[in-house]
Amino acid sequence: METQRNRPSPSKFWSWFFPVGRQTGGWAYVLNRVTALGLTFYLYLHLIILSKLAQGPSAYDDFLAFIHNPVYTFGELLVVAAAFLHGFNGIRIVLTTFGVSVTRQKQLFYGLMFIAIIIILIFGIRMFTA
Amino acid sequence: MTTSQLVSSPKSGENVWLWLVKIITGPLLVILLGIHLVVNHFIGTRGLLTYADVVAYFKNPIIPVMEITLLATVVTHSLIGLRGIILDLKPSRTVLTVINWILAIIGIVSVSYGIWLALVIASKGA
Amino acid sequence: MSETKWNIILKIYRQKENEAPHYSEYKMEVDPDEYVLDAVERVWAFMDRSLCFRHACHHSTCGACGMRVNGVEKLTCITYIRDVTQDGATLKVEPLRNFPVISDLAVDMGSLYCRMDSVGARPVLPVTEAEIENPSNKWNPEDAKYIRLSDCIECGLCISACPSAATSSGYLGPAVLAGAQANGLKHDPALLELVDSEDGVWRCHSAFECTAVCPSFVDPARRIMNLRTQIVSERLSRLFRRKS
Repeated sequence: METQRNRPSPSKFWSWFFPVGRQTGGWAYVLNRVTALGLTFYLYLHLIILSKLAQGPSAYDDFLAFIHNPVYTFGELLVVAAAFLHGFNGIRIVLTTFGVSVTRQKQLFYGLMFIAIIIILIFGIRMFTA
Repeated sequence: MTTSQLVSSPKSGENVWLWLVKIITGPLLVILLGIHLVVNHFIGTRGLLTYADVVAYFKNPIIPVMEITLLATVVTHSLIGLRGIILDLKPSRTVLTVINWILAIIGIVSVSYGIWLALVIASKGA
Repeated sequence: MSETKWNIILKIYRQKENEAPHYSEYKMEVDPDEYVLDAVERVWAFMDRSLCFRHACHHSTCGACGMRVNGVEKLTCITYIRDVTQDGATLKVEPLRNFPVISDLAVDMGSLYCRMDSVGARPVLPVTEAEIENPSNKWNPEDAKYIRLSDCIECGLCISACPSAATSSGYLGPAVLAGAQANGLKHDPALLELVDSEDGVWRCHSAFECTAVCPSFVDPARRIMNLRTQIVSERLSRLFRRKS
């Protein structure tokens, strides 16, 4: 029935990533979910790739040489950024869950994101100059 | 519409304990993953640790223990988190049971593999 | 009321049973200091008698006129047109999300009312239990005989704004969990199984959208977080009680 389309439904999962009309906490939620899925994917990719360590020095170092270019470095920076954004956003969730700053979660979010972005910038500079 | 249709099924797929594990592993990961990222990007000569760097790093017995702890923690956090996202989709009990098994197997396999890998690298430096 | 007049286009979501949704546009002259509900009502009064919407008290007490105004959940009887649009612009009015549409802007909130009942949410409560910021005087225990309306007006804005409520039909939702929190696990231990479940507090992922749209002083997100703390301490104390 057409009038049922306004009901909750798993097919609306796209709305998790669609923050238009949403407010600070909603953007934090989108950020948390996107980085969560990205980091989970990377974690298992990372574990598979690390098997090169068991294959000996040449296999591993050849792989490091192969990924030593701006494209892969940018990809790595995205992972580092996702980790810090997810981690610092997580601190907001832990603190507010236990009642700390729960009425000031917006300010807490902005503060933590500011710190996260500075850390990401430091990592970015190091990764592109090393 | 009756109330019984609108409230939780008797056998719930989520509870306080799973959530507590997720919320405790979170801050632990901020520390362990922070160390992991700093070591890998700020100690390595070309930005990342080379094979020789990794072997040398693993000579200190605390390091394999720390890395295995990190792996177990991150795998636990990621799988409980992923299960939470799947639960947002209101899966049927059958689907949830299958998902529970898949996630448990992924967890056990990845942590066992990580322990094996850490021991292999630690033995190279011995 | 000011002397200013704005010309706006009111773009209203329309949907009757077994009909595909569409939007109807109404050009109209409004006073920017009128409320959005006034404009919607005028469409019904003078332009289109088939428009269906819910409204009653017009002073933010009944919770009937919740709608999405330019994509954001608002109690339309207290939302100034000035605050949500400008002269010459389009103002989009849609029904709340996550409830089935009955007709146009009216949605079926039966699920919310049933669930509020299931957690024993109280429409009125003793003044001594009310969470009023900076009360001018402290309550004495005997004041418990005086009651006041609880803050939640059951308008459903929080359910519409919540990203978890969009995908899970089972999720109790912010208003209901806030009702459970106000009741308290100490006061009603039977609530524990209901809220410590996949459809309870663990479906909340800290988007705080409920608190952002709440037109009253419920602050559902804060109450959900407090309910979690209540659950943790209740579960831990039960665990140790069993062991000793």
